[in-house]
Amino acid sequence: MKPTVFSIFKKLDWFFKYYWKRYLAAILALVFASTLSLIPPKLVGFTIDHIQYHTLTEKILMLVIVGYIILAFVHYTVSFFWDYTLFSGAIILEKWMRSKLIAHFLKMTPPFFEKFKTGDLMARSTNDLKAIALTAGFGILTLVDSSIFMLMIVAVMGFTISWKLTLASLLPLPIMALIMNKYGAAIHARFTKAQEAFGEMNTGVLESIRGIRVVRAFVQEKQDIERFSNKTDEVYEKNMAVTKVDALFEPTITILVGLSYTIGIGYGANLVFNQVITLGDLVSFNVYLGMLIWPMFAMGELINILQRGNASLDRVNEILDYVADVKNNKDAQVIGEVDQIVFEHVSFTFPASNRKSLDNISFQVNKGDTIGIVGKTGAGKTTLFKLLLRQYPNFKGNIRLSDVPIEQIDLEQLRDWIGYVPQDQILFSKSIRENIQFGKEDATDTEISRVMELAHFLKDIQQLPDGLDTEVGEGGVSLSGGQKQRVALARAFIKDPEILILDDSMSAVDGKTEANIIQHLREERKGKTTFIASHRLSAVEHADLIIVLDEGKVIEHGTHESLIQEDGWYKEQYDLQQLSRGEEAFE
Amino acid sequence: MKKATTEKRLFQYALKFKKGIIIGIICLMIATGLELAGPLIAKKIIDDHIVGIEGAWNEVEEQIDGNTVTFQDKYYKRTDRQISEDKVLGKATLLQVEKNYYLINQEVPLTGKRAVTGNQVTIQTPDGPIKANGQKLRLTDLAQFIKPEKRPIFLLLGLYVLLLFVAGLFQFFQTYMLQKSSNQIVKKMRNDVFSHIQRLPIQYFVNRPAGTIVARVTNDTEAIRDLYERVLSIVITSFIYMFGVYIAMFFLDAKLAALCLLAIPLIYIWMRLYKIFGSKFNQVIRSTNSKINGNINESIQGMPIIQAFRREKKTKEDFETLNTRHFTYQRKLLKLNALTSHNLVTFFRNITFVVFIWHFGSFSLEPGSVISIGLLYAFVDYLTRLFGPINNIVNQLPLLEQARVAGSRVFELMDEEIEDVNHTQIPRYNGHISFQNVSFAYDDEYVLHNISFTVQSGETVAFVGHTGSGKSSLMNLLFRFYDPQKGKVYIDNHNIKDWSRQQVRSHMGIVLQDPFLFSGTILSNVTMNDERISREQAIKALKAVGANRFIEKLPNGYDAEVTEGGTTFSLGERQLISFARALAFDPAILVLDEATANIDTESESLIQEALKVLKKGRTTLVIAHRLSTIRDANTIFVLERGKIKESGDHHELLGQKGIYSEMYQMQQQGARVSLT
Repeated sequence: MKPTVFSIFKKLDWFFKYYWKRYLAAILALVFASTLSLIPPKLVGFTIDHIQYHTLTEKILMLVIVGYIILAFVHYTVSFFWDYTLFSGAIILEKWMRSKLIAHFLKMTPPFFEKFKTGDLMARSTNDLKAIALTAGFGILTLVDSSIFMLMIVAVMGFTISWKLTLASLLPLPIMALIMNKYGAAIHARFTKAQEAFGEMNTGVLESIRGIRVVRAFVQEKQDIERFSNKTDEVYEKNMAVTKVDALFEPTITILVGLSYTIGIGYGANLVFNQVITLGDLVSFNVYLGMLIWPMFAMGELINILQRGNASLDRVNEILDYVADVKNNKDAQVIGEVDQIVFEHVSFTFPASNRKSLDNISFQVNKGDTIGIVGKTGAGKTTLFKLLLRQYPNFKGNIRLSDVPIEQIDLEQLRDWIGYVPQDQILFSKSIRENIQFGKEDATDTEISRVMELAHFLKDIQQLPDGLDTEVGEGGVSLSGGQKQRVALARAFIKDPEILILDDSMSAVDGKTEANIIQHLREERKGKTTFIASHRLSAVEHADLIIVLDEGKVIEHGTHESLIQEDGWYKEQYDLQQLSRGEEAFE
Repeated sequence: MKKATTEKRLFQYALKFKKGIIIGIICLMIATGLELAGPLIAKKIIDDHIVGIEGAWNEVEEQIDGNTVTFQDKYYKRTDRQISEDKVLGKATLLQVEKNYYLINQEVPLTGKRAVTGNQVTIQTPDGPIKANGQKLRLTDLAQFIKPEKRPIFLLLGLYVLLLFVAGLFQFFQTYMLQKSSNQIVKKMRNDVFSHIQRLPIQYFVNRPAGTIVARVTNDTEAIRDLYERVLSIVITSFIYMFGVYIAMFFLDAKLAALCLLAIPLIYIWMRLYKIFGSKFNQVIRSTNSKINGNINESIQGMPIIQAFRREKKTKEDFETLNTRHFTYQRKLLKLNALTSHNLVTFFRNITFVVFIWHFGSFSLEPGSVISIGLLYAFVDYLTRLFGPINNIVNQLPLLEQARVAGSRVFELMDEEIEDVNHTQIPRYNGHISFQNVSFAYDDEYVLHNISFTVQSGETVAFVGHTGSGKSSLMNLLFRFYDPQKGKVYIDNHNIKDWSRQQVRSHMGIVLQDPFLFSGTILSNVTMNDERISREQAIKALKAVGANRFIEKLPNGYDAEVTEGGTTFSLGERQLISFARALAFDPAILVLDEATANIDTESESLIQEALKVLKKGRTTLVIAHRLSTIRDANTIFVLERGKIKESGDHHELLGQKGIYSEMYQMQQQGARVSLT
């Protein structure tokens, strides 16, 4: 679709409709201030005339001076008013859009974040919003200058001098509009690319910093600098492509305005000689043409700004228009409590894959059960949890909680029920206390120390310099892997959820700690449902149901005892792990 | 050593690309000059050739050149076109009254209100009306009088159009060159900052959210672009223009000009005052922008948790605090700008004119005063012209200040102390490691106390101990992510401090517990795009760790896309890929930091097998909580609170009945507890 210049106003109509009073006031003040600014030259001329003709009296002088001072103050006040009001609109828009963006991010699930990279989303939330804000401030100013003022001057020219001459000298104007439109389209396309390149560069820096340890350890600094340098080259190229069009605006307008002058004077002379207008008219006409220069430049500026804003707005709207992959069903049900959880012939394929990650999974969980999920790396354990958390849409089959299909359950309620400890220990750059309070906002220190005991973290916390107030840094960098996992466990425990999901979340704690935590869990979780995925079978031995996954399929299921009897994969692994663990102990 | 000011350093960057900037500014000046010529030509056309036909004419004897006009068998010529060969027969005046032209056969004043009744033209003058007989010219007659003007009008218009195109050309190059230079400067700055980042100690990244660092590299440098693109050239040309106006004023009236020099300290004070407030607001805006970036990054990384724990509202509130602060300070800055900038310049100009009127007005009221009206007009003209560039300069202050603050943030990062870099290849070492009396603290508190141990090349050793016992710190020292305060670390009896960090690491590989994948493909994550690692080597490494089992099922196999952070792969899969990465680089020393925690037993045993095969000439250091995974190690070191408490192989340690044996028993118990 060819972008039209003014479509940005259409796309932002919600904003301008909301703030129309502000904009009307600003524009009126702007017009008023501009009218006022016509007076001072007249005042000066008036005084000089009086001096010249010796007609100046003290009274006139005082009147002029007092009048001028008042005028200066009024002009300053009105100018301040329009300036502040108009440009405030720009930053209000920026703030509003940014709020919309973050609110949108918060509704998005993994498929969205796999499609859009963080650095790019950051760029859209900062760099692109700047270009959009420009439209709501400077864009409106140039719009007023190039429309209202141009019309005013043209009207004066037409009515007081000659419409014929006015129209003739404005002949280049439609040509200008055409050319500007062409430039505008080019700016739109090229600016979009430049902003994209900026987003990619942002992503590049972010990845380099997040992966800095890997880069350093593998001595890849040079290659990384090289890679970044390619990105900045790209940004440079794309910006220069914009510049090439950008640099055309001013000369084109200069030339076309000049042609207006040429026509005005040439044709004006002809009219004078043909005794259609007077010499005085031509001189005034020349002055008015001079006044038209800025509005014509403003027209160019306007198109330039609007198209940049447009390009950036499209990038932002691409995000805002992204419909959440998982959202609340219109007739979502609120159900009292979680009873049974049933998976019925559930199959799932990730959006970017053609391989079934889950293949015809069926099982049933009764309230209060503990379910162990085991299997090789990549067998589908995490995927199963992701579906239960409704991180991905479009699976086949049925997942039902208390006999209600999961899609029908209010998303907030579902998430309220579930406590989740993911494989990656995601912590926030806050204190340990605040991280645990994520699970329960008003948790007291007594409650916190209780769950820390459950998570076997009390001893560690005593060793940390600031105890609960220890800042964990971004992603929990200042904690060890085991500590991070236990904070994440405590965070889920304090929520005391109906359904607790532990996704291989004790991998970095030692066997004794794990055993202790599981012991605590068994006491705490009586009557509540718990899912545990683990590579260490010791973590799931006590489960009421153990499901063995392989390549997305359930290959075995049952209790620990029945699986041992079955003599399959589970037994094999169990023996292997027992062997490696126990051979000496039982010597 | 005191660092140069931000202004100076920004200027130094400009000097690196001064050629483009100077060409740009020269183009700007030429273009501006040519543009000014335009109205002058228009004025000449109107004054000389259109308005000019009205005025004094002579009746001459004969037609000797193209400037002579024939009218009713008489010859006329404009007095200003008179040449010595002309014989003047009489005076005449051509006047326009309303729209018609009249030829009057006598000299009459050209100013004053005109009226016509029949053939009589009346001109009002201060000394009373003058009446004269005139002859109304028909269009064809008038054409005769205009004829000599047509050619010069055409020529001048042609010249005007020509100048326009030339001016346009220079304008193009002005914008192009300035933007090109500014883009080059920003690119250079970004590359410089990024290179600097690659040399900052790891500690720098521990304390700062990644997103905020990103903002300095990208957003802050972007905020500087305007400085070189616009601000610099406008300020320079404005000062040149002001200089020109001052010169002209000195010729006109030295005293007056000297008085107007006051404008310069005024601008200076203005800039200083603006800087005080503007810089405060800008600092908050830039740092908040940086925090917004950091916040977005962290929110996105933590989104699964935010949503699972339904903390969207709180997260949004935290974000809005930043967003609102950003907005509030932008608005403060806006208020400052609206109160100052062009509005205040206009106010000052108006006040200057008030003083002007007052001064000359009162002077003229004094008896016997004589004032030159021409001087007054010139004064008004120059004052107006002087305020033009002042306005331009002041309008650039907000951008200048923004660039200054952004620049200071960029330079602040560039001033962070960096590590020495030396990429010169060293021969592959054997991997004999020795720590001698090493003590180390991250800040004040020592986490390693007087540690000494030796690892023979080719051995596998393990470090066990509770969290915080110092296992990871040992690895940090070995990799020279940090250097110890006391003691020395040797590889092949070579103090590693004598090598550069890059040299030390060049034959080491590490698999981190928290494996990091870069966006790209699976293969690019193994090779790290290092040309020393071939595709085949990478695939071989992936197969060796058993990653081929899941990779070969992916649509694009080894070239399958890895999205940001590798989130589409499970943690175990990511660990396998990063394991392959370490193997592909064929390191002399391999460090495994809880590297197999999330990998299933089958894959793990596969890896163990692969390691055995690849072990030759390789020293392997393992950190593990699971004692079962390290039983085969040649030596196991038991760490507690930064000290080595026990060492020996599995059997020896069990025999010692110390910490290790206790830990081992407890893990066994643990396993059995869960069975009951």
